[in-house]
Amino acid sequence: MNDKEALDLLSFVVDCAKTSGATSADALLIVSDDSVVGVRKGEVEKIQRTRSRGMGLRVFRGHSQAIVSTSDMDRKALESLVRGAVAMAEETQPDPFSGLPGTGAAHVVPAASLGILEEPFPEISQEERIRLATETEKAAFSEDPRIQNSEGAEFQSTSVRSYLVNTDGFSGGSARSLYGLSCSVIAREDDSMERDYWYEQSHFFRHLPHPEEVGRHAGRRAISRLHPRRPKTTTCPVLFDAEVARTLISHMVGALSGYSLYRNATYLKDRENTRVASSGVTIREDPLLPGGFGSRPFDGEGVLSRPKVLVEHGILKTYLFDAYSGRKTGRSSTGNASRSLGDAPHVGVSNILVEPGTRSKDELLHDMKRGLYVTELIGFGVNQVTGDYSRGAFGFWVEDGEIQFPVSELTIAGNLDDMFQSIVEVGNDRRIRSSISSPSLLLENMRIGGNG
Amino acid sequence: MDKDQKSSSLEVMKFFESRFGAHERILGETLGSAMGHQIDDADLYFEYTTAESLSLEEGMVKKGSRHVSQGVGARVLAGEKTGYAITEEIRPETLQEIVRTARAISLVGDGAKNALHLVPSRRESASLYPVTSAELDVPLPLKKELLLEADSAARSTDPRVVQVMASVTTEMKSVMVVRRDGLVSADRLPLIRVNVTVIAEENGQRQTGSFGYGGRIPFAEVMGEPLRHAAREAVRQAIVNLGARPCPTGTMPVVLGPGWPGILLHEAIGHGLEGDFNRKGTSAFSGRIGERVASPLCTVIDDGTLPHRRGSLNVDDEGTPTQRTVLIEKGILKGYLQDRHNARLMGVPPTGNGRRESYAHPPMPRMTNTIMLSGESDPEEIVRSLDKGLYAVNFGGGQVDITSGKFVFSTSEAYWVENGRIQYPVRGATLIGNGPDALTRVSMVGNDLRLDPGVGTCGKDGQSVPVGVGLPTIRVEDLTVGGTA
Repeated sequence: MNDKEALDLLSFVVDCAKTSGATSADALLIVSDDSVVGVRKGEVEKIQRTRSRGMGLRVFRGHSQAIVSTSDMDRKALESLVRGAVAMAEETQPDPFSGLPGTGAAHVVPAASLGILEEPFPEISQEERIRLATETEKAAFSEDPRIQNSEGAEFQSTSVRSYLVNTDGFSGGSARSLYGLSCSVIAREDDSMERDYWYEQSHFFRHLPHPEEVGRHAGRRAISRLHPRRPKTTTCPVLFDAEVARTLISHMVGALSGYSLYRNATYLKDRENTRVASSGVTIREDPLLPGGFGSRPFDGEGVLSRPKVLVEHGILKTYLFDAYSGRKTGRSSTGNASRSLGDAPHVGVSNILVEPGTRSKDELLHDMKRGLYVTELIGFGVNQVTGDYSRGAFGFWVEDGEIQFPVSELTIAGNLDDMFQSIVEVGNDRRIRSSISSPSLLLENMRIGGNG
Repeated sequence: MDKDQKSSSLEVMKFFESRFGAHERILGETLGSAMGHQIDDADLYFEYTTAESLSLEEGMVKKGSRHVSQGVGARVLAGEKTGYAITEEIRPETLQEIVRTARAISLVGDGAKNALHLVPSRRESASLYPVTSAELDVPLPLKKELLLEADSAARSTDPRVVQVMASVTTEMKSVMVVRRDGLVSADRLPLIRVNVTVIAEENGQRQTGSFGYGGRIPFAEVMGEPLRHAAREAVRQAIVNLGARPCPTGTMPVVLGPGWPGILLHEAIGHGLEGDFNRKGTSAFSGRIGERVASPLCTVIDDGTLPHRRGSLNVDDEGTPTQRTVLIEKGILKGYLQDRHNARLMGVPPTGNGRRESYAHPPMPRMTNTIMLSGESDPEEIVRSLDKGLYAVNFGGGQVDITSGKFVFSTSEAYWVENGRIQYPVRGATLIGNGPDALTRVSMVGNDLRLDPGVGTCGKDGQSVPVGVGLPTIRVEDLTVGGTA
């Protein structure tokens, strides 16, 4: 299906919604092609190809709405699905704040300026894919003889095209390509067995880091975790590695959703223009960041994207809204509608960037003197309503400003509000590796659960 | 409902035949092209799923959605290799194409062109969930009524309730597996889930409470008392948490209440016993069959045959009948959970645990309903036995690092206990332990085994499947509690 066929199909569906009795509608089509080659212990383990497409339609009858989605693109089947959606909208209750964003007609074509689409798609042979995965894993094994087992290495390539059409005259498309190399290996010595992984991804095949680099890094990470100890239960400073710092940022971003705001379901309620983090923390959103992993020309409702500041020197500048939550709270959409095929829009983000500080992670470790350096977190112990935070952690114990030994089977706990306010320093080691990017973050104090 | 498994599975096969032209000759020819002397196994997995959700907030049923999902996954296995490809346009040519793509795993030339002789399953086991579409997917006004009743039940329970969110989802999934050994197996899986979440507010402080329930049951069974119970429970939890104090931190004895706290089993041992990790030697439980991994008080099973349970299946997603598998017997590790691929490579029989999220995913060994059997202690006596420790009765999610065995799960309702008496509720805390030795520290097991209310979803390698857990009240020595006090 090419761009024109995709947009034509969506126009057919929203027109069909109108003739079936909908007052307005929008429809989304996502076409993806994903290929994974996995190698384990030097042998090909997995070859997987997933070509998929799906459509989501939202219809309004006045202020009542219904959503349908399908992977069956047969026009007859679509017609009956549309009629079902309109019938369903007769059953849901009218909500005066529901409706399209009302931003009017526009036509957006996939733009090369976002730097997220490699065109034409490079031809990558199956042999080349296998070679990339094989070399990645081999590099991990060669890093250290204690790397004795593997969960494998993978090369993945994906292309995703998405299209949106609504009855206000918006029609747009966006396309991206993505290439990834990942590797997960197991280090073993005596009775200690530890796994770790590494991955790199890029929108351009030619920019993907060398397999050797990815594999060796995965190997080093696994080795560094061997023979962990449990720290004593204590209260101490905690340095969040950049890889886990972004999870902390994602919790705050979640608490800024307009939906959480009107539901009273966020610890950041009524905090606009007040301090929500220490003054060293500035957080921006840039949907148009060239090469960003969350870059997009328009949001899930067709609202054109623009950069903004969320938190400036610790002061909250804005919550995040889609059309509905914006109207509902007397604001307007901030272009943060995120959309999946089978559900109404919700609030989501594009690229979130925490402004880097001036000093390196090692300098932060040095200044911390004694405390915990966290490199991995597990579990779901984060409560957005109260800000209560308690998760399982892995990392390293630091004394005299230097890493002493790996630690595991411990918890770190606090409250998000206090934690953000207690960020002592932001590192300079931010890399754009996913849609949320943060440097490492040093927190003044957290409660550590361990021995005793 | 009087349909037995046999007629229902034939019905499903007829459905795929009439809708997609998937008749025996086409299937036999398609899969026949995946033969070859280097190929160990191959299958086609057909799926057609319809799901409907309705949700309420602020007293209004604001959102309705309906979802149709159809597709076929083709898998070819050669040694340790798996080839997998899918199509959503189901035609003879596309089926041929995905088999060819999946077949690329085996580096030999074109397969034999002999059509496969198919043998539709004649197995006559009784269906574990004889629920018709009409009994499950009732008209929208009935679902609306359920949500509005949840709203009024929750609000009338306590004036401190400021927000009620409720949802109901019904799903009917028809699946058919066509295997290289000629077996054709089909099933129809009903699933319903109701969720009630409330926010209560007092003196500017807010807390949530949540209760979900469901299973492979008719819609009529989620109405009435079960619904009112869910609303009351959600409110009770929120109110309890309004009075919660910071949780103490450190290593201490923990008493887990019955039911959903069985997520401990799922994380601490269940994942670690899945066949793929053990074949590869990447699990903390690898090579430990016959060893002591729990106290003699513990017997743990995985049982996919419990009628109407969320985690149950007549046959798994590879056509293997589900069973009751003993994982740990009186503390001794007895067995792993297997799909066909890993069972073949380990030289053991499959256990009916080959599961997948959808046609878009290859199957893996997964849990069904994971349960610790009752012991002999009186549950109240177990709580009274705590000198100083935590009594945790409700949990949110959990996670495990298979290789190191470290697992976590987070409380949503827990109490601090001193001298055998409950002192006060505590705020949410994560509990962390080490899988291979956590159960060796189980010192008391209650006689009150309870299954969870039917809300579990397990994630592995990006695939989500419905599961169940069950646990009696137990006491575990020395778990680490991640509080703030």
